[in-house]
Order: sequence, then structure tokens, then C-alpha cells
Amino acid sequence: MVATPARTPAELALVARYPAERTSLPGTADVIAIRDAAFGGVEKSGLPHRRVEDWKYTDLRARLKTFPPAAGPADVARILIAAPAVEDDKARRLVIANGRYRPELSDLKDLEPGLSVFSLATALEAGDTLVLAALKLDDAVAANTAVALNTAFMTDGLVIAVADGAEIQRPVELVHIAEGEPAASTAVRHLVTVGKGARMTLIETIESLDTVAHHSNVMTVLEVGDGAKVDHIRLQLEPDEAVCMTSLVAKIGREASFDTFNAALGAGLARAQIFAEFTGRDARAGFRGVTMLNGRRHADTTLFLVHGAENCQSRELYKAVIDDEARSAFAGRIAVPAHAQKTDARMMTASLLLSEEAEADAKPELEIFADDVQCGHGATCGAIDDDLLFYLLSRGIPKAEAESMLILAFLGEAIDEIQNQAVHDALIHRVEGWLKARAA
Amino acid sequence: MLEIKNLHARIGDREILKGLSLTVKPGEVHAIMGPNGAGKSTLSYILAGKDDYEITEGEVLLNGQSILDLTPNERSVAGLFLAFQYPIEIPGVATMTFLKAALNSHRKAKGQDELTTPEFMKLVKGVAERLNITSDMLKRPVNVGFSGGEKKRAEIMQMALLQPSICILDETDSGLDIDALKVVSEGVNALRSPDRAFVVITHYQRLLDHIVPDIVHVLSDGRIVRTGGPELALDLEKNGYAAYVADAAA
Repeated sequence: MVATPARTPAELALVARYPAERTSLPGTADVIAIRDAAFGGVEKSGLPHRRVEDWKYTDLRARLKTFPPAAGPADVARILIAAPAVEDDKARRLVIANGRYRPELSDLKDLEPGLSVFSLATALEAGDTLVLAALKLDDAVAANTAVALNTAFMTDGLVIAVADGAEIQRPVELVHIAEGEPAASTAVRHLVTVGKGARMTLIETIESLDTVAHHSNVMTVLEVGDGAKVDHIRLQLEPDEAVCMTSLVAKIGREASFDTFNAALGAGLARAQIFAEFTGRDARAGFRGVTMLNGRRHADTTLFLVHGAENCQSRELYKAVIDDEARSAFAGRIAVPAHAQKTDARMMTASLLLSEEAEADAKPELEIFADDVQCGHGATCGAIDDDLLFYLLSRGIPKAEAESMLILAFLGEAIDEIQNQAVHDALIHRVEGWLKARAA
Repeated sequence: MLEIKNLHARIGDREILKGLSLTVKPGEVHAIMGPNGAGKSTLSYILAGKDDYEITEGEVLLNGQSILDLTPNERSVAGLFLAFQYPIEIPGVATMTFLKAALNSHRKAKGQDELTTPEFMKLVKGVAERLNITSDMLKRPVNVGFSGGEKKRAEIMQMALLQPSICILDETDSGLDIDALKVVSEGVNALRSPDRAFVVITHYQRLLDHIVPDIVHVLSDGRIVRTGGPELALDLEKNGYAAYVADAAA
């Protein structure tokens, strides 16, 4: 007999919420069945804890104190006057407020030929067969707790399709805003399909207008068609009180080019997951990100990459800056099946610890079954280099400013890979703000 | 200008400076020569404020003010400049950003306004040109990808920009070919003035052909064991340090 541990308050809240909400969440009976299956798994196993390998450094059972109720409708007037996280006139902003797509707040003018945008909730209500098919995930992904909770509670999201060969000039920015008090939960699912040879830049920002303990769970399922080029960048800017879990599922087609960047600047508890797979040969992908932590915040980056086809190249670079008693975790697993010859994968993670109590955990894993591959991984962890600091000080630069310069330089290696100038600048601006607050 | 009085310093259990005294007056150029391990680089690091060393006795005054309790950046804005033997590479920090931060820190300490970008550019370009520092070098991160000679020229450029009152040159000749040595020396000589002094630390006499010192000291085993005029350097070049090492050991 297996002993069932007592339910935590967060688990109790989950178990109470789902039966009450399942039929009022958008979707036909088929959708409810998918939700039930997802929730059933979570209900059975409970929240994952440190003995569950994929959650070793982020013990959700211990860290998730509550699971707040579903968010109500957002106050549109407040969102209208809020300053955008990224100042970019070119970007097409599509707003998801409190878990619901708000076309009236979104820029739908003159959609480029080949670009279609519609609401996931509407598609779920209509029982759209293509959308239902797109909800189907690989078993390991579907069983992941953050993913399963997203499936169970998703209220809306965007279904975006880019036609074969279409070049979408304007970046598409998915703006997630939580608004209102008390704290509430949101679960949003986006389904993005980029056709053969098509190009697009997809930006996601996640933020709250109120400094309360919101829970946001944002999942993006992305299909990068053969020969397509997709640049995906996410800025997670939640308040320190918040919990934010993001999942990116990416299938990368033959000869495609894909980059994803995750900036984890906010949330008290953050988990950014990537489930990526090369599904066609001769493709390339870059996975990069920066994490900035202070106080007692915790951020986790977990990457599962399957080099599932021959002659694909991947580069992974994740950098974390950790101050006070904060803690960062990185787990990166690259699997190379036997047929994926000529794989070229290089994974690097580096952590800069700014205090005695700061902690960084890094767990790179390579599972290689092919014999003609180049795979490397590296992990570094350390304090600011005293010699570099002394050199700057010796030229009259005060310590706080010198440290800020070195921290920015450390992060810059990753940030400078961002191709979109507006997002790059917005991120640098945020980083500088963080450094200024630290130096004060 | 610079007064070092009976300075004792150690790193761990090892005493490196054992009662070093030196007085440098405005306008003077002092050379400190000595064998390997005499404490030359330790002296330069201690003056600049590196905290790897423990000062057990003595004091250092800059323009009458004790500097041993000052942080390295406070010493810099107080007018002390160390040209490093091995200028460090700082990937990710643009040279111009670095120079601007340094210059503005000095200006701020003097109660002056920060330079505007055009003023700053003009100033740097002027100084860089005189030291054969190309705009390509200025575009790179601090010292990254610089040759040994380029690094030393970059040090002198920083010195020229910051206009210190006392300049410590730590083995500035090491790693330089004869042409680079000339450029660096000319850069230093251009900065000589009645209200600025130099302490030139070197192992070899050849630098002193180009930067002619007023006073030459021999540093051995943590102390100044002999002081003389420029002819002392020539004597050392001919006869080596053996006599001084033996003296110190005795």
C-alpha cells in the first residue's frame, strides 16, 4: 500500500477548484475530457516535490503556498493607460488580460496576408477539430505538472497561423497582463503554427498591474515549419509576490531556424520550461536566457531538447545573476537518438553569485545514442572577479557602479543575441533599473 | 607629494615589504629597480589599494593625506594612477563606456559636471591619436584582443585622460618591442610636468633610456637598499643585482 501524503493547502485548493469550474471553462465535451485527463494526473500524484527528478530544485509542493481562485474580468480602463513593457511601434500587440484575449485592446488592423489570429476559447467552444488536435501533446509533456494544470484550467489564448512562405514583417507581441486584487490565477494556452519557409518574430510579455501574489501559467505550443525562421522572445516581468510558470513546446522542422530567449526578471517563484524537438534534419536553434534574482526569490529554467533528426545544430546559453538569499536552478537535458548523426549541440550555463547566501544549481544532462556527434556542456558558478573589479576601481569608478558594469557585461553575452532591437533595448533598460536599485 | 614611511606589508605569513621608505616630490621621476621577488609589484598594488595585502606598519601619504584607509577608487580620484604590468581584459565592457565612467567619476569627485558625449569623444580621440590607438581599438571591450603593446598604450591613454598627480608605472616596458616602447615613453614624457610625479618600476634599464629618471632606487628584499642618480641604473645594467641581493640577505 502506498501512503498518500496529506494534501497541502495549494493541493486542497486545486482539488476544490477543478470540479467546480470544469464545465464552466470554455470547450465542448471533448475538451472537458482532455481537461479531466490532465487534472486527474495532477490529482493523483499531487504537486511534484524534490524527489521527483524534474522538479528536484523546485519543490513545488513545498513552495506553492496557495492556489488562488480564477481571475475575474480585467478593468480595461487600467490596462489602456498602462505603459507597455516594450516600446515598439512596429509590434502588433495582442492583449490577454486576466487570462482572456481582448480583441478590443489588441491591434488587429491590416493583418498581413498569411497571418491569422483568433481566440482559443472560441475555438474550444466550437470544438474546432484542428485546435483539438493541437491540444494533443507528447505523453511526457502532457504529464508535466505545469503543463497539466495549464490544460485543466486554460481559459483562452491565441491561435495564430502563418501561411507557408509568408513573411510577417511586424513582430507579434502577446501581452499578458494580470489586473486586480485579490490575487488570482490565470492559465493561457497559445497555439502558433508557422508554415513552410515563413518568417515571424513572436514576443511574449508577462506582467501584473498590481503587486499581489498572482499565479500565471502561460504555455505556447509552437510549430516551426520546414525552412521557416522564428524568433521567440519572452520577458517575464511579474511582481516579486507572483508565481509564474511558462512552458514552450517547440517542434522545429527541416532546415528551419529557431531562436528563443527567456528573460526571467520577476516573480517570487518562476519556472520556465522548454520542450523542444528537431523534427527535420539540417535545422538550427538557439536557446538563451537571463535570470535576475534578489530577495528570497526562486527561478528555475528547465530545458528538454530532443535532437530528433540528423545534422541539426543547437546552442544553449543561460545566465543567472543571483543576489541576497535568492536561488536559481537550471536543468538542461539534450537527448540525441541513435539516428541523429552529425548532431552539434553546445550547452552553457553560468551563474554569478552576488552574495554569500545566494545559490545556483545547475544540472546539464546529455543522453547520446548516436556516435558521430559533437555535444558539449559547461556550467560555471562564481562571484564577481576581484581582479576585474580592482581594475575598474583603480580608475576611480565607485564599487557599486563597477559591479553593475561587470554584471551587465556578464548578462550581455546572452542579451546581445536578441535580434529584435526594441526588445533588446527594453530588456537592457530593465536590467539597468535592477542594477540601479541594487546599487542604491 | 608621495611619502611612504617605514611600510611593512605581508600576504598571508610572508612579509614582503620590510620597512620601505620613499619620498617623491612634485615634478620628479623616480625609478625603482630591483631583482625578481624584491616586492616591486607588491608596492604598486599596495599603493593602488589592492586588498590582498595586510599592512602591518607604516604609512603612505598622498599630498599630505593618508591613503591607506581609502578605497582604490578614492585613491584614484585623489590623484594616484597605477599603470598595470598586466592590464586586464574585461569582456563585455566597452572601452568607451569604461573610459567615460572613469572620467566622470573623477569629474564628479571634483564637483564638475559630467562631460557631454561630444566633449568626451573629442577628448578621447585627441589622446588616442597621440598614442597610435586606433578607433577600432576604442570600439572593442576593455583590453580585449589587444596585443601587449596595445594594452600598455591603452594604460597610458587612461593616464592621460585622468590627469593624475602621481603615476605608478609597473613594468610598463615588459612585453614591448622597441617601437612600442618609444610610443609609450613619449606618451609618458608628454605628461611630465612640474606638478606631476612618476614612480617607474622596472627590472631593466632600457626603459630609463626613454623615460629619464631624476632618482633611482634599488629595491631588494622589501626595502630600498640604495638610492642614486641615473648613473645607478647604468651600473645595475652592467653589474646586475647580485651585490644588493647579497647585502639584503646579510
